Amino acid sequence: MHLAVSLNIAAASGQAILDFGQISSFVRKAEAAGVDMVIISDSADKPSSSPFEATTLLAALATVTNRIGLVAGASTLAHQPYNLARRFASLDIISHGRVGWNATLRQNPREAGNFSRPEGFSDDDFRRRAREFINIVRALWIGWGRDALLFDKAAGRFHDPDMMHPLNHVGEFFSVRGPLNVARSPQDRPVLIISDPAEADLDLASGAADVVLIEGQPSEALKVAVGDLKRRAAAIGRKPETVKVLATTSEPGIDSLQALLESSGCDGFNFVLPADVPGLHSFADRILPELRRHGITGQSYRGAALRSHLGLAGGGDQ
Amino acid sequence: MTRQMKLGAFLWATGHHIAAWRHPKAHVTAGIDIDHYIQLARTAEAAKFDMVFCEDAAGLREANVGIASQTSRSIGFEPISLLSALAVQTSRIGLVSTASTSYNEPYGLARTFLSLDHLSGGRAGWNLVTSASPIEAANFGSTGLKPHADRYERAREFAEVVTGLWHGKLGASGHDGRSFSVRDPLDLPRSPQGAPVMVQAGASDVGRDLAARTADVVFTAAQTFEEAKAFYDDLKGRLAAYGREPDDIKIMPGVAPVVAETEAEAREKHEELQELIPDDVGVALLSSYLSISDLWRHPIDGPLPELPESEGMKSRQALVIEQSRRDNLSIRQLARHFAGARGHWRIVGTAAHVADELQARFEGGAADGFNVMPSYFPGELDAFATLVVPELQRRGLFRTEYEGRTLRDHLGLKRPV
Repeated sequence: MHLAVSLNIAAASGQAILDFGQISSFVRKAEAAGVDMVIISDSADKPSSSPFEATTLLAALATVTNRIGLVAGASTLAHQPYNLARRFASLDIISHGRVGWNATLRQNPREAGNFSRPEGFSDDDFRRRAREFINIVRALWIGWGRDALLFDKAAGRFHDPDMMHPLNHVGEFFSVRGPLNVARSPQDRPVLIISDPAEADLDLASGAADVVLIEGQPSEALKVAVGDLKRRAAAIGRKPETVKVLATTSEPGIDSLQALLESSGCDGFNFVLPADVPGLHSFADRILPELRRHGITGQSYRGAALRSHLGLAGGGDQ
Repeated sequence: MTRQMKLGAFLWATGHHIAAWRHPKAHVTAGIDIDHYIQLARTAEAAKFDMVFCEDAAGLREANVGIASQTSRSIGFEPISLLSALAVQTSRIGLVSTASTSYNEPYGLARTFLSLDHLSGGRAGWNLVTSASPIEAANFGSTGLKPHADRYERAREFAEVVTGLWHGKLGASGHDGRSFSVRDPLDLPRSPQGAPVMVQAGASDVGRDLAARTADVVFTAAQTFEEAKAFYDDLKGRLAAYGREPDDIKIMPGVAPVVAETEAEAREKHEELQELIPDDVGVALLSSYLSISDLWRHPIDGPLPELPESEGMKSRQALVIEQSRRDNLSIRQLARHFAGARGHWRIVGTAAHVADELQARFEGGAADGFNVMPSYFPGELDAFATLVVPELQRRGLFRTEYEGRTLRDHLGLKRPV
């Protein structure tokens, strides 16, 4: 089974904020325990007390870890697709193929107010815009052919001009010519994660996402949700096992998790952790060893890339 | 203590020379190798450079794919993620990146640079530019390429919002302007150095005014002492109008040195690089400086043809034509001359010679320091660090130890209140 931990880096009120040393020490413990990935959330609904923005923190964490997947949240409201695509492509190269983007599909009024969109978007516009945004980013990520870079000093051929593909996207909300000015990512595409999709987002999630996170719910409802996502994926010609469904939980009771895994058909779990030092210590020192005792973690990583850990199709070394 | 010069190490993939990547000792996979950059930053830090500096563009540098494929400039790291990685792999050196006001939002950019500042313990700087490239504009079709005056109007408002957010001076009602609206104060704690350092590179009249109003550091390109001195005096002269003192801004022209143990060796190294420039790459760059498209139709070893006056870069065109007549240069020779250093000040020679030249501009009141543009990496940064820096230190012109922890400390800049 797969295991992710979500870290909301903004501390709860009254707690001391987490510094880089505390965060990196926790992530390294999670890496030692074989956790697939750590998901750094960003742009909370209320003001953050963390000193860090998620993608910059991720770049720093990439240099002090070797195996664990690193995922940052970033919203379609606070970025332009070209800029976001190259940020994540660059992060993936820095981390040697361990990065994912948690695409936030909820419209955050606070973000709209700070990004020159005081009125926000209608729900329908926001959804169509987010879908267009995500598809542009995914297409930009594969704009360079796998073997486009030749590095041929003698012949003076740095790259193969035929392997560089402009996007020429002209859509309802964006027009983007491309290609990216960052090389193809080691995983071809960084892992795309969609969290808690609404009913109207299910087609996008089952069609484009590598991992879908579903909010904690009772066993029966979870089983229905997992089955629904996998069926939708199969209906458009994807292998259902290429969409990983990780159910999100904040109370890791190990026995009940194992039962839930078996009954619901989900692929793994995402633990949401409090952003304080005692919470991190408790998870690392108490929960992780328990998971290992139950054989849920402790296996070594299958390869170097996040796609390998998750058993996903695509580039990398799976 | 006597005044000492500031030094930036301008990092750019395989090097600043257009053909750098073809040099046998250039690290050709620089654009996809984070360890290469970590090594460069550590080299610059060990040599006590004030900062490393990264350029940026939100798109390819060259529209013609055939030309682009013969250079290494189409791919590289996105600089904010690159510098964030370097932040935790270094401990003293400043980390400065370019980011455009044309295709970002001030709240997001202020937040990202402040995060870099926290990761690095107060060593971040932002180089403000506006985007003039149609290649970039095509990646942000919803906004499009704006006229110069509009770009700077947007940049001025952008800078005002960013500094307002960094200094905690955004009013209770937020900001509601022509291009941007922002409701809340920034949601990250205050910068360890008061505010990240603000850098600018614009040389136009409106660009200089914006710099005089908001910049802590100004990068510039100047070939001759006279040009550099005129720019220096003009910009420092504008500060009083904004209630600032001459020392509040550090002016650091770019310099592209080729340095070796002996003069002959340096010349040989330079010639070796020049020989690596493919003819069509050189002619394409020369064509862009001349604002014409069919230069390749003329014999490459013949003289520059008579050209109609352009509506493009008039002064650059005049400069090229004058040089071709004065030195009786062929198209190929001219192309190599201009393609090599990208129009920046080039010094070829021994460490003593390079130090002499830098000292003359520094003591002559034409620069507070320099942004060093090594021709290829890592070799030419190593050469500057091991040959020129000790020479400057011997002369008392450059620090032997960092004065403090933050980039503002290194640059001797006031901490904003």
